[in-house]
Parts: sequence; C-alpha cells; structure tokens
Amino acid sequence: MSIIKLSNVFYTYNKDTEEQVHALQGINLEIEEGSFVALVGHNGSGKSTLAKLLNGLLLPTSGSVNIYDMDTTNPSTIYEIRKNVGMVFQNPDNQMIASIVEDDIAFGPENLGVPREEIIERVDWALSKVGMLEHKKGTPFKMSGGQKQRLAIAGVLAIKPRVLVLDESTAMLDPQGRREVLSVVKQLNQDEKITIINITHYMDEALDADRLIVMNEGKIIDDDTPKNVFSRYAQLEAVKLATPPVTGLAIKLNQAGIPIDTNITTQSELVEKLCQLL
Amino acid sequence: MRDISFGQYYPSESVIHRMDPRAKIIFSLLYMIGMFFIVSYTMYLVTFIFLMTVILIAKIPPKIVFRSIKAIVFILIFTAIINLLFYNEGKVLVEWWKIRITDAGINFSVKMIFRLTMLVMGTSLLTYTTTPTALTDAIESLLKPLSYIKVPVHDIAIIMSIALRFIPGLIEETDKIMMAQKARGASIDTGNFIQKVKAMLPVLIPLFVSAFRRADELADALDARCYNATDHRTKMKVLKYSGKDLVGAIVVVALFVGILLDKYLIGGSGLWVGIDRYIADGIRNLVG
Repeated sequence: MSIIKLSNVFYTYNKDTEEQVHALQGINLEIEEGSFVALVGHNGSGKSTLAKLLNGLLLPTSGSVNIYDMDTTNPSTIYEIRKNVGMVFQNPDNQMIASIVEDDIAFGPENLGVPREEIIERVDWALSKVGMLEHKKGTPFKMSGGQKQRLAIAGVLAIKPRVLVLDESTAMLDPQGRREVLSVVKQLNQDEKITIINITHYMDEALDADRLIVMNEGKIIDDDTPKNVFSRYAQLEAVKLATPPVTGLAIKLNQAGIPIDTNITTQSELVEKLCQLL
Repeated sequence: MRDISFGQYYPSESVIHRMDPRAKIIFSLLYMIGMFFIVSYTMYLVTFIFLMTVILIAKIPPKIVFRSIKAIVFILIFTAIINLLFYNEGKVLVEWWKIRITDAGINFSVKMIFRLTMLVMGTSLLTYTTTPTALTDAIESLLKPLSYIKVPVHDIAIIMSIALRFIPGLIEETDKIMMAQKARGASIDTGNFIQKVKAMLPVLIPLFVSAFRRADELADALDARCYNATDHRTKMKVLKYSGKDLVGAIVVVALFVGILLDKYLIGGSGLWVGIDRYIADGIRNLVG
C-alpha cells in the first residue's frame, strides 16, 4: 500500500513576482509503506521543497499531496499528517528546543497530549532506538554532530511516525556521524518498518536504499533501484551527480575495454567480478 | 567553555536542590521582602545564620556564594559612602562644609551593606540550586492563573526555554564570526570605543542573519513536531510539592514573622532598635 501519493505537484516560490522560482514541476510519486527511498539531486533540484511538501510545511501550488488519503491542504488533518510523517532537518542545533535531552524528546508527545506515563515510556523507547539512552539527563551542548542528529531523530520518533523524512540530515556531519545516523535509520526501517525517505547529495548513501529517485530542475528524471540508476551513469553525470567511487571504477574499467558490469556497488562485488575475469 | 545554558547552577545532591522550584521562587520573594523590614543587628545575625545553614545544607562551597557579592562590591561601597556622608540625623561626629558624619549615618550605612549583601546572597542561592529549565517550568506553573485572562503562558515558557537553549550556540557563532573577520584583517579589539563599536558591525550583521536563518529552521522543526496540535498539552515533568517544601515554608515564614515582630512589636526609634535594645539594656545592667 502506498503511504504517500503526489499527483501532478507544482510548487512555485514567490509566485507572480519577478523572483518566482518553479521549484517543482509536475511531480508524480507514490511511496510504498516500509520502503527505504533515497532522493538525490543537485542543489536547486527541488528535493528539499519536495520534503517540506510531505508534511504540509509547504502546500503545493497545484496538484495534491496525500498521506494515507489525507490531503495536506486540509487544515483539520494536518496534525494527523505531521504525526505520521516525521521530519529531521539539516542542522541538529536548530531542531532542539530544550537544554536537557529528555525534555527535548518529550516535546513532541507533550504537544500531542499523550498521557504522562506514556510520554516517559516513549522517551526511553526513542532514546534506546537511537542508542542515546545513557544521555537522557544530559545536555546536547557538548555532543558530537552525529549524537545531536540522533537525538533529533529520537525527538521525531517519540511522536511515533510511520514515515521518517531526512532532509539532508547528514550534510553537516563528519563521516563518523554520518555512519551513526545511517545505521540508526537502517535499523528503524528494518525493526520498526518505518518508511524512510533519505534526501541527500551523497550518492553512497543511496546504496542502502531499495529505491533511488533522481531529481533535476524540479522534475524526477530517474526512479529505479540504485544499481540500475548507477548503470545509467551518463545521465547522472549530465545532472552533475557522480556515481559512488566503486561504481565509477567499474565504469572506467568497462570503458577501457574490460568486460565488467557497470552496476557494481560494493567493494567485495568488484573484487569478485575482477577475480572471475582473471 | 563553561556550559552557559546552566547559568550559575551549582550541581550537587541536596535537599535544597530537590525542593520544588516554585516553592524556592516563592521563598526567595518572601526573603527579599523580609530583607527590607529588618531593623536590628540581631535579626541580621539570625538571617545570616539562616543563610549559612541553607548554604551548608545545599552543599555549596560558601566561597562560591561569596563570589556573587564580588559583582556588587562597587554598588555596596558607593551606597555606603553616600549614606555615610549625607545622612543628617543623629549625633554629629564630624562636620565639614555640607558633609556631616553622624552616628546614625554610620549605623545606617553598615545596615545597608548587610542588607544588600544578604539580599544578593539569598537570591543567588535560588539560581545556584535550581536549573534554568526547572526555573522556566516553575515560572510557567506560577503564571498559570494568567492564562485565564488569555495570557499565552505556555508560549512564554517555550520562548524562555528556546532562548536558554540557543544562548550557547549564538555565543559559539559569535566567536566563529569574529575569528573569520579577524582572519580577513578586521581589527576588533583595537582602537578607541567608537572604533570598537564600528568594528562590531561586521560581526553583528552576519550574526543576525544567521539567527534569523536558525529561527526559520527551528520554526519548521517545531511545526514538524506538532507544536500547537492540541490545547490539551500534557507534561512529562509534573511539579509536585513535598514534605521538604512544607518544612522550608515553615522556616522561611518563621524568619519573616520574626523580622516583622522585631520591627513592629519590639522595635523603637534610635540607634539600637528591636531586640538589640533589650540586649543593649541587658549588657548595660550587667556592667552597671
């Protein structure tokens, strides 16, 4: 069953002024419940705009965005939508509202009027899901970027969403922090069957996804498994996106006349294929 | 760098720390009012003993509490000298031009120093033993009745909480911008006052821009976490009065009543007032 459905969505910033920007131009998209989707695109491709449409932070200029058949333009169900579609943003420092970890995690459920005992349970659950339970009483002030971003995820988890949208949530993190966040997200997808939409410009993050959507200039230009998308590398390069290094190497070898597949995504796969050729 | 969002909070495990923050705010207010009614040296001594006992129970090094007085040393000396020089009642000890130093003037100045010192020590005990977060919660709870006249009490509390949360981040950011501007040859620490103010402009403008950007992202994050989803918000941390707050109330009220009794029932006029007079009389009788 598809949990998110966008039909013919257009979004224009500063509409009818001289600075108007057509950020999205006719997006049609369905996302299956429980899937792990990566959405990549160059700067200005409209991927962050798309993210903000998913929980009604922005409303489409035309077309419709539906979450479980609830339209985001309907004010009476907007909080029901936001409860189902959690969103983590780029800068972890700008998402926390309290100076103490547990107070921050409790903010979401408090807003929803969840009974006190359940809030306490949810806080512990969310913190243990991101591996930060021991920092419950601590302060985010001295934490690493990866830790802070995991707290931001916990803060969203506490409202028990069915979809987790990561809007370039790893862009400001160091490689260690990125690994931490991605492994947490993968676990959530597997254990809790939470649908993940990871918006990123790191191609290697797309490797973990079941589905890779490529955007350029407000349009979806490719939508397939990561392997298949990467094999159409010429098209990716045309929109200023690079294939992951391993795939890039395979492509170069292929171009140099070595008969090797161009949809290789992992190091071990490449080693195996190369060994077979010897 | 010290964690500024904790203010001057001094973490330790004590009964005072665990008391209800609302109770502590009320006690501090009562204490402050009380300080303005003290007339006799004996009551100052009693209050001082009370303060030291609280500091001892709170397990805060007295050194740290005394440090809070440092900030007001200038005010203390200034008010003391002004009072000393321009207090006109009482027996004149020294007279020169318009300046008159009287015995009552000395008395008044000394008491003023005691009063201000203990006022600052007492109120800083509140911030030493209560986290800013707890204070915010307490203020929200104490202001709750105002929500009946449509004062957005919860919004005020959220604003306070966010302000506390963002102070360290903004300070960090200021440092970064200053370094960036210095790296490009800006001289921020040199020159006279006006030059320094002008040099702050290239720091303040990017800081404001970034603060607005942060606010924008934070607003999205608040919305994404269902802020304002319902009027029936719940709270994870519920403030609850307990036995220790009752004990605290009894002690603070006793002190307050003592101060009032001293002033109005046994107080008099002149140098030695209140209980002081009885003690002074007693000593005089013993000697004579």
